[in-house]
Parts: sequence; C-alpha cells; structure tokens
Amino acid sequence: MSKITKSSTAEYFSKNLQQVGFSSPLKAVLTTLKEAIDNSLDACEQAGILPDLEVQIERVGTGSSKGTDLIKISVEDNGPGIEPDDLAKVFGEYLASSKFGRGQCSRGQQGIGISAATTWAQLTNAKGAFVRSKTPSMRKAVQGQVDVDIKSNTGIFRNKETVDWDKRSGVRVEFVIDGRIQLNGDGGLITYLEGTVLVNPHLTLKYKLLENDWVTIERVSNEMPEIPEATLPHPHTFKLGEFITHATLYGKVSLDKFLKTGFSRVSDQSIKDFVAKGLPKSMLSKPISSLTEADFKKAFQVVQETELMAPSTKSVLTVGEPALSKSIARLGEIDFFSVVTRKPTICDFKPVVVEVALARFTNRNLEADAPVQLLRFANRVPLQFDKSGCAITWAIESVNWKTYGLQQPKDSLPIGPYVFAVSVVSPFIKFKNASKETIDASEELVEEIRRALIQAGQKLSRHIKKEFKEADLERKLQHIEQFGPILVEALVRITKSSPARLKRAEDGLMKLLGRDSKDAHAELAEAESKLAEQHAREKKKRGGEEPDEETPAAEEGSPGDQLELVMAGGESKAKKAGKKRKK
Amino acid sequence: MASKIIRVRELNIDIPKEAMILAEQMLSDLEKSKRPVLEAVKTSLDNAIYNQKVGYLTPGDKVVRTELNVSSVQKLARVVFILEILLGNLEAQAVNNKREIYYICKGLIKKNAKLKPLDFEDQDESDSIIDFIGDMLQVYREELNCFANDRGGQTYSQQLIVTETMADGTKATVDLSTLGTAPYQPKNKPQALKLKVKKKVDFALVVESEGTANTLQTMGFTRRNNVILIGAQGVPSNGVRGWCKLIEEELDVPIYFFGDLDAYTMQNIFRTLKAGSAASLIRNQHFSAPSVRFLGVLPEDVKKYDLPYYNVKESDPAEARALKKAKDALEGDPFFLDKKNKGLADILRWLMKEKIRCEQQSLFSVDPRDKLMMEKIILEKIKKGAYV
Repeated sequence: MSKITKSSTAEYFSKNLQQVGFSSPLKAVLTTLKEAIDNSLDACEQAGILPDLEVQIERVGTGSSKGTDLIKISVEDNGPGIEPDDLAKVFGEYLASSKFGRGQCSRGQQGIGISAATTWAQLTNAKGAFVRSKTPSMRKAVQGQVDVDIKSNTGIFRNKETVDWDKRSGVRVEFVIDGRIQLNGDGGLITYLEGTVLVNPHLTLKYKLLENDWVTIERVSNEMPEIPEATLPHPHTFKLGEFITHATLYGKVSLDKFLKTGFSRVSDQSIKDFVAKGLPKSMLSKPISSLTEADFKKAFQVVQETELMAPSTKSVLTVGEPALSKSIARLGEIDFFSVVTRKPTICDFKPVVVEVALARFTNRNLEADAPVQLLRFANRVPLQFDKSGCAITWAIESVNWKTYGLQQPKDSLPIGPYVFAVSVVSPFIKFKNASKETIDASEELVEEIRRALIQAGQKLSRHIKKEFKEADLERKLQHIEQFGPILVEALVRITKSSPARLKRAEDGLMKLLGRDSKDAHAELAEAESKLAEQHAREKKKRGGEEPDEETPAAEEGSPGDQLELVMAGGESKAKKAGKKRKK
Repeated sequence: MASKIIRVRELNIDIPKEAMILAEQMLSDLEKSKRPVLEAVKTSLDNAIYNQKVGYLTPGDKVVRTELNVSSVQKLARVVFILEILLGNLEAQAVNNKREIYYICKGLIKKNAKLKPLDFEDQDESDSIIDFIGDMLQVYREELNCFANDRGGQTYSQQLIVTETMADGTKATVDLSTLGTAPYQPKNKPQALKLKVKKKVDFALVVESEGTANTLQTMGFTRRNNVILIGAQGVPSNGVRGWCKLIEEELDVPIYFFGDLDAYTMQNIFRTLKAGSAASLIRNQHFSAPSVRFLGVLPEDVKKYDLPYYNVKESDPAEARALKKAKDALEGDPFFLDKKNKGLADILRWLMKEKIRCEQQSLFSVDPRDKLMMEKIILEKIKKGAYV
C-alpha cells in the first residue's frame, strides 16, 4: 500500500499555480503585477495615504522554459510599509493575510496572491521576491529576498540588509520570472494599468513598459475613498459546510453568541424566531466546540428557514460619478461619455454596488466595427481574462443597445469605438474560481448590472442621437441642393416646358424642401436641448443634491459638462451650455 | 416602314402620353409649391387577392405613396431620370435589358457632372426604380421596352410548331421535331408566338430541373409520347410562365408540373407558375398558368414507390427558413388559403409535420435497372389521376 502523506498548503499551490492565475506565461506577468498593485493600493487606503505607485516591467533575458522571456516586474509604493518581521509571512506564506474572511471590499481577500507570485518566481527563476520596506518608525529601510519554503508553508527572508531610502515609508517589490508580455488587448498590461487608473481616481501612477518612455498619470482626486467598516456575512449566504467552518473561528463561545456575533442581522428577536422554528433552547447555551455535526445541521436548517432582515448596504464603497468622470478623461480625449453609480443594493443577500462608465474616445485606435472595449472590475481590480463567462459580460449582452444607437449582433457585445467600464463592488463577490478572473453570474447580480447599463445607455443615447440628427440634417441639406435641380430639369425636358416654368418649379421645390429642412433643423434642436437638459440636471446633482429615485425613464445627467468636447459641425447648444474644460 | 415592337398585350394606355401627364402633374405641383405624390401598386402578399375563378394573384387596392420630401427627393429624381431614358427608348423603338439600362445610366452620369449625385452604386438600385416605374404606370416592363433575358423554358416536342412574328412583320417558323437534341427556348416575348401541333398532344409536362427534362428527352420521352416537355430551370422566370400560359390558351392541353417535394418548390416554384407572385401582381394575368397541376413528388408517392428522402435539418438556416415560410404561407398566402387549393395546402402541412423533403430525381432509385422507370411512373400517375 502506498504511503499517504500530508502536504502543506504551499505544496498544493505550488503544484497548482494555474488555479490562482499562473496558467500561462502571459498571465503570470499580469497576475504578479496585479497582486503587487492590489496589495499596495489596499495598504495605502488602510493607512489613509494617497497612493503614488511606480511600476516598471522590463525584459531582462530569456526564460528558462521554452517560449518565455525573463521578465522583471517592479512595483513601488508610498504606503505605510511592512514590519520587517512580517515580510517573510506576507510574501512567503500562503493564507497568511490580514483580510481573510473579513467582509471588507478590499482587493485582496485570501492571502494567496503575492505568495503565489513569489513561488512562481522561485519555480521559474530560482529566486523569490526581492522586497524593500520602510515604515514611518524605521530610520532606514530593510531589504532582502523572500522565498517560500514549500514543504512547511513558511517564508524565509534571506540576505537581509538595511539601506538608506529617501521615502518616508513604503514598499518596493521586484519579481524576476518567466513570462511573456502583451501590452494591448484583453489581458494586456496597458489595458490592466488603464483599468486600474480608471477606478482609482486618487491614484498617481508612473509606469515604464519595456523600452517605452515613462508615463505618468496624475491623480484627479485628493479624496481618500472611505473604506467601509468590515461587515459580517449574512447567514443566508452560507452553505452548511461554510457555516461549520465559520464556527471554528469563534472558539468556545455559545451557539447563541456565535449566531449573534458571527453574522449580521441576527438579533435577540431572531434567536426567539429560531427557537420558534424548532431550534432546541438547550442547544443555544452549549459551546459550539461541543456541538456535533448533526447539531450544526439542525441549527443551520432553522436559520435558513427563518426570515431575517436584509443586510445593510453600508459596507460597500463607490468611486462615485464625479470622480469616475474625471478619471475617465485620463484614458484619452473623449468625444462623449456617460457615467452611472447605482445605489447600493442587495443581491443574493449580499450588498453590492454597480458602477458603469461608457465613453467614446476621439483617437483611441478603436475600430468602428469591432466589439466595444470592455473593462471589468471587481472591487476595483480589473478583471482581464475569461470575458465570456463573466456576469458583467452577460449583462451587457442582454441589453438591447440598438435602442441607444449602437450596433449589436445578436447575443453579443455591441460594436463601435467605445469603452465600456463596469465595476462591481461587494464585500463578498463570488468568483468562478480562485484566480478571480471572472464573476459568477447570479440572476440578481446580472439584473442589477443590467439596470446600471440601461441607465448609462440612455444617457449615452442622447449624445448619439444628437450626432445622428446632425448628420441627418447635413445629408438632407445636401440632398436638396443636389437633387432638386436634376428633378426639375428632367421634368421640364419630358414635358417640353419653357424656361419660365423651370424657374417657377425650382423655386416651388426649394420652398417645399426648405420647409422640410426646417423640420430637420427642429429635430436637431430638440435633440440638442434634451442633451442640454441632461447636462443641467447633472450639474445640479453634483451641486450637492441627492438624485431622485431612479426609474427606467428618469435620466440622470452625465457629469462633467466641463468635459464635453466639441461635436463636429453644426451649432451645438450643448457646446454653448458647457464650460471650458478645467485643468 | 411601320416597325413596331411586339405588343405583349392589348394595352389600353399610351405610355408616352401617360408619362407626359404624370410629369406635367409633377411640374405644376412644384410650381405651386405643392408636394407631388407618386402612387404605385403595392406589390406584396398583403395586397394580393386570389380568386379561384380568376386563377392568379391580382392586386388589391393598396398603394405605395411616395411623396416628395428631403428624404425621397433622391428617389424621385432617379425615377424621372430613368423614365426619361425609357421614354427615349420607346420613341426610338430601341430595347434594353435591366443591366444595360444600369450601364446607360452610368454613362449618362459620367458625361454630366451635374448628375453625379444620382449615381447608382449597383444594379439593384436601378432595377428597383425600373420596377417602380412599371408599377406606377401599371405597365409591364416589356412594354417599356425593357426585356429580361429569361432563363429556363427549354422545350422538347415532336409535335409542336411555333410561329414567331418578328418586329418587322416577317414570320419565323420552328418545327421542334427538326431540332434534334437541342431544345427550343422561348425568349422573353412568348406572346408574340403562335402555336400549332402536328398531332394531338396529350399533355405538357413542366419539370423543375432542366437537367432531368433533358434526361427524359434523351431517353426518348417525346418520341414515345405525344407531349410537350419543358424544363423550368428552378423558379419559373416570366418567360417560362408566359410560355406555359400560351400553351394553356392556344393548345388547351393539361399541364402537369413535376418537381421536388419540399416547401420551397411548393411555394416559390409551383405556386409562382400557377398563380404568379406578389412581386409581379401587375403582370400575373399574362404570366401564370392557372390550370397547371402538381404531379409530384407527392407525399403518397414517397410511400408507394419507397423513395429515398432527406430529413429537414432544423439547424440548416435555409431549410429552417423554408419551413417558416411554409407556416407563414398557410396563414397569410391567399393562394394557399383558398379552398380550391386545399390539396396543395395539405401537402405543405404534411411537409411541416414530417419535416422531410424528397427530390424529383429520387424516382431514379425505384428500379435502377429500368432506365425508363421515371417515364413510366409519370405516365402511370397521370393515367391514374395521381396529381393535385
């Protein structure tokens, strides 16, 4: 009989790195970058520091595996730093995290990511992560190399030394790994960085990719996003196994206490309701460590059957429409755009907030007959892969974009030179797998995303309609000039009429068509005024008033009239109503 | 010399005069700043009437009104432009087909920069204007001297003699029995022909596939039988339809159609041959043969002769469309709704239910060793009355 041995978590993950985002050389680079940036941003936000990130990615040789390059990824932040004693744990140990199960909308949740990156570096380049860290209380920075001891799932800090660093505090991390670089498109580095920039208006990012020059993107907001308090999970979101596991975090407390403190929305009244539904009173005072599986099952069933209040929505944060609209301008010159931030709501018993930004850029190299460029975000982290299986994609495909003026082949993404950015924020996002590439689609979530998209689409359609009407008017005016004379002259020839009749008919025709072109002008004016109304509403809203309850017909304006750029041709009332762009 | 273009029918209207009246009306409307309106018969199924006594689809009252405005000014300018060309042809007694008119337009536009906005991107655009003019004046395209090069209608017979009166009055006589293996193909003016038979003809057989007609002929079908054999070559063109009509009127013989058993054949080929189509509502009177009967393949034949057949693949878009069309036809096509055509409608229903199709050539599987099997089956069916 073969021996059965126990493996450490590190051993498991090191053999299964593809499960956490390292399934290809391309993904390896992206995941490493993402993990480092996620951690930096989270740390800065926790400490109330406006993040200044510096990212560099270079090719430093050929990789050891076939078809890969040796890539160096460096990420440096101005966060609070990591204590030297914790460095090994953070970078070298799996599931060692400050955030596990916390129910906060932080980007990192499980404590797998950065350790996986370190492991990948070891597996492909025999060297773990190079880290340098300085906290405000340290005079000098500490740096060295962190490896993962795979057998024991511990981190090892080597070549430790202290150095001078002109930062007050922060962390710098460098990985040298086998990988491949793709700059553009889904899964491209630039796409990822732009996405990160979009949903983090308070971030200043400097980056250098390969041989290109340094690019700096300044922050457009000096407000730190308020990270909501950690929230407790709602009992109805748990399965039996999770319920039991959750209990292990609470030690020896009584079942009564566990239910009230381990979950949200469980009050004394709820306990009474549980008893009424059949939970034995005696079980309530027993310590949970002494409960059997059957006991847990009974308790779990009772809890599921009892009606409880929906969770509070205070635990979600948003980027916000004003910030999002400023941020979107960082991605390029905009023709027009629309932004929607929904009110927090509950989907599948979890608080969720959805935000949508749709934009058309003037020169972004987007083809007019390619699908829109889709940026997806979960807890403000860009999702790069597996687009087709994501709840966000499904929601977009299910909306009829033709009514908003976009082309759309059946059951797929709309077409056009647009960027569609959709962000879902929730303390408990359900991903399809541990690599967190795509959001599991539940009906309620897809519906909520749909609603946000529809609102954004309505706003967008005002712009498109106006453009269309302008083009239409243009075409009609041309028609009059061109076809009028041809028609009249041919008629005169057929009827062998006199030049006098020709003149009279031409004049008559012009009068007729002049009336028609007036109608076309009027339609255009109407489209323009609707657009102007929309802008006015938005302006008012950003002046501090809360928006009214949203109905499908209600239109909230697209913010940033100061960002409205000129439409080609035609007088534009909107242009007159808009202000100059603020620097 | 009075040289006339052969008249397709006794036309009550004088086209140049009508056109002149129309143009005059438009011009005076414009002088008064009034919107000219052009009305054309709506050539669609929802404006089609079927009366079994009449036998073909006739137009209802619906019209398509085109009123002059900024959107329609291009179309109207084009209509008048092409009308002028056609009137010129009529006056000069010149003929052109649709494609030639397209190139004539292009040539005129090239020569005159002012006309550039009219330019047609492809032939479909000029074709539709020509059709519109026909529908508007309620005349046949041929009466505007615009002839199509109609395909199909290859005819074989030992008995048939065709006399054609040419434009200049001379006559040409063709005895089909002298043509050897070559068919006689009536061109686009079947109405200019007169028919005579040497011996009494028992029936005329229109076969959907021209190839199969040729096979029958080569095997001696017309030698052994006093018949007229015609290959339709798919959807019957105006020429084929007019030709069958002529045979119906002049020779008074039963006409049978033999083709595939599928929804497309029933609707697009057979029905068009028998009653015309919605698109040609104006001309169905002269371009349909209401007495033609559907000989096969019939549903009962599939069983009787154990014919191989196909299952209709619902995943195939073309087949799915055909079935959908069948469903629509049973609900909205006045031809199939008429109780006289119940037998045909039943076939459609059967096809929709069984979801199979059976090709005409499947008859060759019945007894491959007997090379004349198809002929025998056809004759047997006619004798027994196995037709709809």
